[in-house]
Amino acid sequence: MAAAPEPGEPKERKASCTSLHLSYWKAFKLLGFLDVENIPCARDSILYGSLGSIVAGFGHFLFTSRIKRSCDVGVGGFILVTLGCWFHCRYNYAKQRIRERIAREEIKKKILYEGTHLDPERKHNSNSSN
Amino acid sequence: MAHPVQLSLQDATSPVMEELITFHDHAFMAMSLISFLVLYALLSTLTTKLTNTSITDAQEMETIWTILPAIILILIALPSLRILYLTDEVNDPSFTIKSIGHQWYWTYEYTDYGGLIFNSYMLPPLFLNPGDLRLLEVDNRVVLPIEAPVRMMITSQDVLHSWTIPTLGLKTDAVPGRLNQTVFTATRPGVYYGQCSEICGANHSFMPIVAELIPLKIFEMGPVLTL
Repeated sequence: MAAAPEPGEPKERKASCTSLHLSYWKAFKLLGFLDVENIPCARDSILYGSLGSIVAGFGHFLFTSRIKRSCDVGVGGFILVTLGCWFHCRYNYAKQRIRERIAREEIKKKILYEGTHLDPERKHNSNSSN
Repeated sequence: MAHPVQLSLQDATSPVMEELITFHDHAFMAMSLISFLVLYALLSTLTTKLTNTSITDAQEMETIWTILPAIILILIALPSLRILYLTDEVNDPSFTIKSIGHQWYWTYEYTDYGGLIFNSYMLPPLFLNPGDLRLLEVDNRVVLPIEAPVRMMITSQDVLHSWTIPTLGLKTDAVPGRLNQTVFTATRPGVYYGQCSEICGANHSFMPIVAELIPLKIFEMGPVLTL
């Protein structure tokens, strides 16, 4: 919550419905619907896909001088590279989330059980000494 | 709650909703790429100068466009089934609350540690305070703890209703004569809104659900169990 303005300070502009709408319309969405900013891995996949499309299409054209077929290769390259990057990135993202969740649980357990017989560190130390 | 003109999902407040958003992103990307491919194929077909009136078959292409969609469907179905079973998991709930749908309000019963029962009616626009949300605020919110599994038992006293809170990933039908169960664990405190999601009469749009999620320590002090 913002503090009340001091006397003499310009009053803050109240957030109006219009300004709220404008701020939401400013969020960038590719082709109007794909929220590349907030979907993890979307931006990288689309960028790598675009690069793959240009490389594949242009490379095919350089070797064959066929425009339409090069466009087809470009589109195919875009789809394959985007999908490949997407799956690879999402797989790593899922593994990272699992690791983060395990780390959070372990930290909670450590805080909760520190100094007691359930302390995970005490159990680990007694196992290693045995 | 949703912000104005929002088309996308709301931010997640439970692990299940996070998984649902992840799956949505995954399926959305696959769908977008397929749509892009089909649109390109359509444009190519419309603009080509090539004609061949004696094509009899195209075995290789038919093989590809049979196997590839099957693979794509499997890649979409596997995470979908995983989340389906995840939403049905019941992890020893700490607390059970009953939610009963009526025409056109909800009744909540906290019977685990006492006999608290109350109704939750939508606040009419004339009764709203400045800053309140029109058609979403209620007189009595359902107060729940965070970071503890909560079981909701949902039923109805008259017609079909549906108890929904999008940010928690919850939507459970309230069926008269049947008790449906849903379990959730909220991860952050706040006030979260939902609306009845099964047509139930004239005021179907005017029986919202408001969940006030508070830290477990404060919930245990018992402010919600005293009226």
